[in-house]
Amino acid sequence: MPVDTKRVRGPDESQSPLLFVLPSTGKPECPQEGREDGRQRSQADVRPVFARCGLISQAKGSAYIEAGNTKLICSVYGPRETDRKDEVDMKSGRLVCDFRFAPFSCPKRGSWIQGSEEKALSLGLLESLLPAACLHKYPRSQIEVNVVALEHDGSVLAHAVTCASLALADAGIEMYDLVLGCALRQDGPSFLIDPTFAEESGAQSAGSGENQGRVTVALLPSLHQVSGLQSDGEMAEDTLVGAVKACIEGCQRLYPVIQQALARAVRRKAPPTAV
Amino acid sequence: MAAGYNHSVEPLLKYRIRVKKENCRPDGRELGEFRTTTLNIGSVSTADGSALVKIGNTTIICGIKAELTAPPVDAPNKGYIVPNVDLPPLCSSRFRPGPPGEQAQAASQFIADVIESSQVIRREDICIEKGKLCWVLYCDIMCLDYDGNILDACIIALIAALKNVQLPEVNINTETELAEVNMKQKKHLNITKHPVGSSFAVFDDTIIIVDPTAEEEELSTGMITVVTDENEKLCAVHKPGGTALSGEKLQDCISRAITRNREVSKLINEVMQSAKLK
Amino acid sequence: MSPKTLCVPGERLCSTEECVPGPGTYLRHGYIFASLAGYVLRKNAGEEMPVVSVVKESEAQLLPDVGATVTCKVEIYKSFRPGDIVLAKVISLGDVQSNYLLTTAENELGVVVAHSEAALCIPAGEQMVPISWCEMQCPRTHAKEFRKVARVQPEYLQA
Repeated sequence: MPVDTKRVRGPDESQSPLLFVLPSTGKPECPQEGREDGRQRSQADVRPVFARCGLISQAKGSAYIEAGNTKLICSVYGPRETDRKDEVDMKSGRLVCDFRFAPFSCPKRGSWIQGSEEKALSLGLLESLLPAACLHKYPRSQIEVNVVALEHDGSVLAHAVTCASLALADAGIEMYDLVLGCALRQDGPSFLIDPTFAEESGAQSAGSGENQGRVTVALLPSLHQVSGLQSDGEMAEDTLVGAVKACIEGCQRLYPVIQQALARAVRRKAPPTAV
Repeated sequence: MAAGYNHSVEPLLKYRIRVKKENCRPDGRELGEFRTTTLNIGSVSTADGSALVKIGNTTIICGIKAELTAPPVDAPNKGYIVPNVDLPPLCSSRFRPGPPGEQAQAASQFIADVIESSQVIRREDICIEKGKLCWVLYCDIMCLDYDGNILDACIIALIAALKNVQLPEVNINTETELAEVNMKQKKHLNITKHPVGSSFAVFDDTIIIVDPTAEEEELSTGMITVVTDENEKLCAVHKPGGTALSGEKLQDCISRAITRNREVSKLINEVMQSAKLK
Repeated sequence: MSPKTLCVPGERLCSTEECVPGPGTYLRHGYIFASLAGYVLRKNAGEEMPVVSVVKESEAQLLPDVGATVTCKVEIYKSFRPGDIVLAKVISLGDVQSNYLLTTAENELGVVVAHSEAALCIPAGEQMVPISWCEMQCPRTHAKEFRKVARVQPEYLQA
């Protein structure tokens, strides 16, 4: 195994104490109709969102978003000259997305080195944002989007999309629309919208394994277009269609909060009294 | 170029003249004045302990994860403390993605040295059973906004996060020889020392300013960080190259660091108290 | 002027029958949408229809818009000549048609090395010496020529 000489090293191996927790007696199972945090199943019951722009002084634009315990921060740099000139289409700019989990953000400690999950999330983020960005306005330039998950309590890709579009707008990058994200966990006949980490990774509640899966939708809310759709698991066609519709409704519920956060940032930068 | 029309005024000189003349920095601070420092403890629930520190715009978050492992062979009665500082591209356009750069590596090593030399925690305290089982505290420190003086912020974030850590009770089952973790019984760490850092930017041994911004760091001809504990003892002095500094000026820095230690200790205690009341 | 309304990207501002799209907006299916978060601005510039634009900062309108005509006198022959070595800053990477856009609009930027005009100085092209911010002099003939002279900074020379 290669030795990482650029970091302070600990022991070769260590285990999370969670693996050694004594099995507690008689833990009540999650009831079929309700959810642990009091939300309802099969409803567009997204967690309340807290969003702010412009927290990172060094960035062109930035945003912070909190949905339940999921906490994400995003910065946008650019447009600046591209790193790789040779392969770039000179007629339009390039969007670069980097998603990272802070090592302490998940129940199990993560590595500093970007893993395959982070790479997949970076790509998912990029694909969801691309249709919204007016990249033809930024030829020969690149725009960099960096997202760090400070705490992962489910639906990270969905909230990362919302957070990144907010940071892009804060940076003054021209966009056709904002992009809002919403995730869903299909659990048999019912679904859990904006699932927490436990709901996302937890076992199915019903005995049968039918219609089990996860969906993440990225929506351009004003143009009413879907810019990103990811799903895994096995679902019947009509179940999947229903899941996507529920996610779209979830996105629309976020819209006023995101609009307000952005309006607040505009007002703070340039109070309207000037005219 | 011909003389006569070469009255070049570099930004450094401009800065120096302004600071000398008005005794005032671009952001209006006096030479010995720190930026407003704020602290938030325990905001990351996936970490066993966490703290977010802001010094002006500079923002540092520290999250600590505790895991179980076997004690080191050369010190079977001790546990591990593993600090790492990350300067991600998120925090400033000066950092690129990829493995840690020189500055991040130096910062990690410096924080490790501070922990070692100041004895923040007795490493014996985090050993569970000699030669068999101990804790490893992964102290991951991440910069979210880079506007200079990250070392001071890193140390505050580390100490505050350590004070926030609660470790569950662990017993070794005498029959199975396996660890048993009881999440209901949790204990705070015993923090024996409270090191606090004070960083200074030096301009040719003539001007010394405290708590430099990123811009001031770039203009300066040298940097120095002095770490003291609450007993006014020196824990570490870090001066990575740059212009030479007279003993007298160094003494000034140490005196300022001692006052700063009192200010920061007070802040940490206040935030800890209000966190307890909640 | 209409009261200050805020908008976010994607918001529909008006139809193309009412306004002409300006900066910070785009056209789609006969409607004008915002592409920036900022204040909506409608300006009558003498044309039939007002121009609708989105500005991020309210003071932005005090400055000329990109592409607006600003009258002033810049005499290129008094600033640069072919063959001069010029220190300039890249202000934009340019659009599809044009190349890099450069500026010398700073005291530190402008002509660094220039040679005197061949017809006046034999042998031709002696390197001239700057004597003020707008003049350089040939050391041999003492003839003065106009240039936008850079006040050269040592750090630029190292780079």
